[in-house]
Amino acid sequence: MPETKVSLDVTNLDNFVYDMSRCIKCKGCTWVDHTYMPGVKFSTRCPSATRYLFDSYGAYGKMRIGLGIAENRLDYSESYLKILYACTLCGACDVGCKRNLDLEIELTLEALRINAVKEGRGPMPEHKTIAQNIATKHNSLGAPHQNRVKWLPQGIKAATKAEVLYFVGCSASYTNPEIAQATVKILNAAGTPFMLMADEWCCGNILYSVGMIDEARELAKRNIESVRQTGATTLLTACAEGYRMWKVDTPKILNMSTADLGFRVVHLVEYVDESIKNGDLKLNNRVDLRLTYHDSCSLSRLSEPWVPWHGERGLWGVVNPPLERRRGTNGVYQEPRDILSSIPGIELVETPRKRENTFCCGAGRGTKEAFPDFALWAAQHKLAEVKDVGAEAVVSACPWCKNNFAQAISKNGENLKALDISELILASVGA
Amino acid sequence: MAISKEAYSVLESIVGSENISDDPVICEGYRAGPGGYECGLGYERVMTKVPGCVIMPKTTEEIQKIVKVCNRYKIAYVPYSTGFYGARSHPHVSDALLIDMKRMDDFEIDEKHLYAVVGPGVIYSQMQEEAMRRGMYIVVGGGGSQVSAIANMIGDGWSPLSHRIGLPHRRILGTELVLPDGELVRLGSLALQDDPFWGDGIGPDLRGLLRGYTGHRGFLGIVTKMAIKLLPFQPERLEPSGISPHTALQLPTKRVKWINFTMPNKDSMGKAMFEIAKAEIAGAVTKVPIFWRVIAKAACKEEFWELWSKENEDTIRNFHVLRVLLIGFTSEEQMDYDERVLMDIITEIGGEARRTRPSDESWIKNADAAGMWLMCGGYVSVDYVIETLEHAIPHGENYAKLKKRYTPPLMPDYADPGWFQSFELGHQGYSEFLIYWDPDENTDGVDHFYLETSKENIRKRFYTSLLGAHQPLYLTGPAYGPNYHKWLLKIKDAFDPNSICHPPVPLAHDEFVERAEWMRPMKDWESPESR
Repeated sequence: MPETKVSLDVTNLDNFVYDMSRCIKCKGCTWVDHTYMPGVKFSTRCPSATRYLFDSYGAYGKMRIGLGIAENRLDYSESYLKILYACTLCGACDVGCKRNLDLEIELTLEALRINAVKEGRGPMPEHKTIAQNIATKHNSLGAPHQNRVKWLPQGIKAATKAEVLYFVGCSASYTNPEIAQATVKILNAAGTPFMLMADEWCCGNILYSVGMIDEARELAKRNIESVRQTGATTLLTACAEGYRMWKVDTPKILNMSTADLGFRVVHLVEYVDESIKNGDLKLNNRVDLRLTYHDSCSLSRLSEPWVPWHGERGLWGVVNPPLERRRGTNGVYQEPRDILSSIPGIELVETPRKRENTFCCGAGRGTKEAFPDFALWAAQHKLAEVKDVGAEAVVSACPWCKNNFAQAISKNGENLKALDISELILASVGA
Repeated sequence: MAISKEAYSVLESIVGSENISDDPVICEGYRAGPGGYECGLGYERVMTKVPGCVIMPKTTEEIQKIVKVCNRYKIAYVPYSTGFYGARSHPHVSDALLIDMKRMDDFEIDEKHLYAVVGPGVIYSQMQEEAMRRGMYIVVGGGGSQVSAIANMIGDGWSPLSHRIGLPHRRILGTELVLPDGELVRLGSLALQDDPFWGDGIGPDLRGLLRGYTGHRGFLGIVTKMAIKLLPFQPERLEPSGISPHTALQLPTKRVKWINFTMPNKDSMGKAMFEIAKAEIAGAVTKVPIFWRVIAKAACKEEFWELWSKENEDTIRNFHVLRVLLIGFTSEEQMDYDERVLMDIITEIGGEARRTRPSDESWIKNADAAGMWLMCGGYVSVDYVIETLEHAIPHGENYAKLKKRYTPPLMPDYADPGWFQSFELGHQGYSEFLIYWDPDENTDGVDHFYLETSKENIRKRFYTSLLGAHQPLYLTGPAYGPNYHKWLLKIKDAFDPNSICHPPVPLAHDEFVERAEWMRPMKDWESPESR
C-alpha cells in the first residue's frame, strides 16, 4: 500500500480525511469516560450533542458531514454552518476519542472551520464583527484601545524590565478588571516584578477558533514579535483561552513548537501553585466557602504544548515518524485544586464531571457571540451539576467561564456565586 | 419516493419541529460509515443509505403514532438507539425514516426486586454505575459500555462476566414492544399489570421472537421499554482513577480481583474453565486473545505494530493466558475460599498465577469495544457460538485455518483462534471470532470470508448464532431449520404486512450477494427469484 503524505497542518482539510473516515460512532466523544460515568445524570460531556440531540451535532455526525464536504458530496448550507459553529471546540470529543482511537477530532473541527472561511462560507456574521473590532481597535469587544490598561490599580506599578510579562487579554482588560487587578496584586505579594506589553493587542483566540487563519496568523506574528522584544522569559496570563492561544495555537499557526516560542507560557494557577510550594506565597486568610472548581477547557484538556508533525501514513494507518498525540492527559488539572485546598476555610467539592470529563461552560471560541442562547444553556446545564453537589460557588480560571456562569446565575436568579480563582487567591493572600 | 410534505407535517405534529429533520446535512450525520462496526465493507457500501428524515420521539405513544403514520404513507423506517451496531442498524433503502430514540432515556431502579426499567436511550455504563451504587451489577455486553442496554439485550448481551449468567434472554423481564403496524404488545408481567418485575407472561413467550438468537436488528418492531434483571454484587466501591487514556477502576481486592494465569496448553485452559465452573466460583473466566493484551500494552497504533511484529505462529500457539475475576459476593471469607479453590484447581492443572494489576480497565464497567479499531481501522466479529466448551474451542481453531486464505486483506494474526470462555458456570461455552482489516485496502476478501464462515459452519456443523439478519437467509435457513427461513419470513409478513420496518431485512444479506458482483460467484444455494 503506498504511503500517503500527511501532516497536522489545519489549513489543508485533506490531512484529516483519514480521521473523519475512521470514526466508528462509539460516541466516546459525547459520553463521559465510562470508567467515570456518574450514572444517568450528568453523563455527557459534549455541549453541542447534549443540547441539539441529533447525531449530526456530535463529533460522529460532524466527522461524517465533514467527509461529505471534503468529498464534495455536501453543499454548504445554513444548517451546516450551525453544526460547525454551535460547538465550543472544547476538546471533550478529542480526549474521548483518544481514549481508544487516537483520531485528531479537534484538529479536524478546526480544519473544517478554516475550510469554511477559505470557501467564503464562514465564519458567522457575529465573528466578522469581532474580526473588525480586532482589526480596528485591537480587542475583540470593540472597546476603545486607549482604555486597555485602565484596570491597573493605583499603587501597583508594572516594571519596565522584568522576567515575567503579564499578558492581560481582552476580557480582563475591559470586562473583568477584577481578575487583572487580583493577578497583579498576587504577583506583588509574591515579590515578582512583572511587565505589561507597551501596546497589548488581542491574542487572536476567536480569529483562529472561527477559522480566520490569515488574520490570526498576522496577529500571531505581531504578538510573538512584541513579546520577544520585551525580553521576557515568561508570559503569564490569567485567561485560559489566552493561555491556550499563546501556548498551542500561536505556535500551531506559525508552524513551530511551543518550545521554540522563546519564552515560557504559564497560567496564573501554575505560577501561584509553584510560589506556594516554594514558600514565596502564603495563603493565610480564611475564606469560608463551599465551592467547586470548573476546569476551563483551554487550561485543562486543550493545553498540552504543540509540536508540528509531518510524515507519512501507510498500511493499517500507521504513521511515520512517530507522532506524540495530544490526549489531554497532561493538562493543568491539579494545580488549581492544590491552591484551593490550601486556602483555609475553603471546602472543595468535585462535580461528577471533572478534569478531562468536564462539561464546558459554553462561552469559548466564538460560541457566545454567535449562539448566545446555546452558550447560556451550556452554563445552566453545568450549574445544575454545581447545585447538585451543594456548592455555594463555582470557581474557574478564565474570565470567559466566569462571565458566562455569572450571566446564567443572574438569569435564573440562582443563589450561587461565580468567581475567578484569582479573586480567592487574593482574598487569602490579603494583599 | 421522498417523504411527502404532508407526511412530514403529520410526523412533525407528533414530536414537535425541534425533533424532526429532513435537512440533508442533519441526515448525513446519520450515515452508517465509512467507519464503524462492519463498516467500510461491501455490505455497508452497497446496502446502507443515508436516511431521508430523522425523528426523535420521547414516548412509546409517540413511537406508536409515528409507526402508524409510516404505515399510512408507506414510509420505510428503522429504529435507532445509539447507532453503534454499524451497517445493519442503519437504513437500507432510500428516503427511510430513522427513528432516533436517544430522548427515551427514562430510568427506574427497583432495589428490592433487583431490576431496572430502562428506555432505549440508556446505555450500559450508566446502568452499571446506578446498579453498583446499590450493591448490584449487570453484565456490560462486549458491544461496549456506550451501547443502548435494550439494543444489546435483544442483540448480543454477553461478556466474560457471562460466566455466571450467560445468554441475556433470561434477564429480559417485562418489556414493551411496538409492532411494525403500531400495535403495542406488553411482554412478561407487563401483560397483566403495570409491574414489569417478571419476564414470563400470559401466552407464548415473545422474548425469543423479538430477540431471535442474536437479534433481528429492528425488523420486527421497536422495543420502547424493558425491565432488565440486576444481579447482587458486593458492597465495596470500585473507585475510578487516572486521567484519560489511562483510566481504570481500582478494585477493593478483598472483594473483587482479577487474576491472570499462564496455562501449559490449550487443553488445560478448557479443563480449568470446566473445573472452575464445576466449583461454582468466580465472576468471569475467559481466554485472552493475545492481540488484546498487545493493545492494552501499546501506547498507540504504531507501538502496537512494533510489538505485534515480534509475534509469530509459535508465540501465538503457545500463548495460553486464562483470566479469572473473583468476586466476594457475600463476604471476604467467601472470596478467600474461592481464591483458595481457584489456586488448587490451577496448580493441579499445571498453571501459574501471573502478577495482575488490582484494577479493571475493561469489562466490569468500561467494556471499551472501541479499542478494537485501533490496530487496523476495520473490525467485525464474524461469528459467535454459544454451545458447549468442547464445541466453542475447535470453532475458533477452525476459523483460524480458514482465515489464512483471506490474509491479506485480513490482519496477519498468526492463526490466533479468537476468544473463548465459559458461560452459565460451564453449562455453555462461548466462542467469538474477530477480524480486522485496513479499510483503504481492497476489502472484497473480507466480504468473502464473512460469507465463507457461514458455509463453514454448515459444513462443520458449528452452532452459529449469526443467522437471520446477519447472513443470507436462504443459505442459513434450510441448513439450520430446515424451514427456519420460511417461518421467519412468515412471521415478518404477518407482523409487517407493508414491509416497511427496516426493509429488506431479514433478506438484506441475500440482496447484498445478488447486488455485489464480487459476491455472486459465491452463491451456490437456491433462493426464489422474487418473494
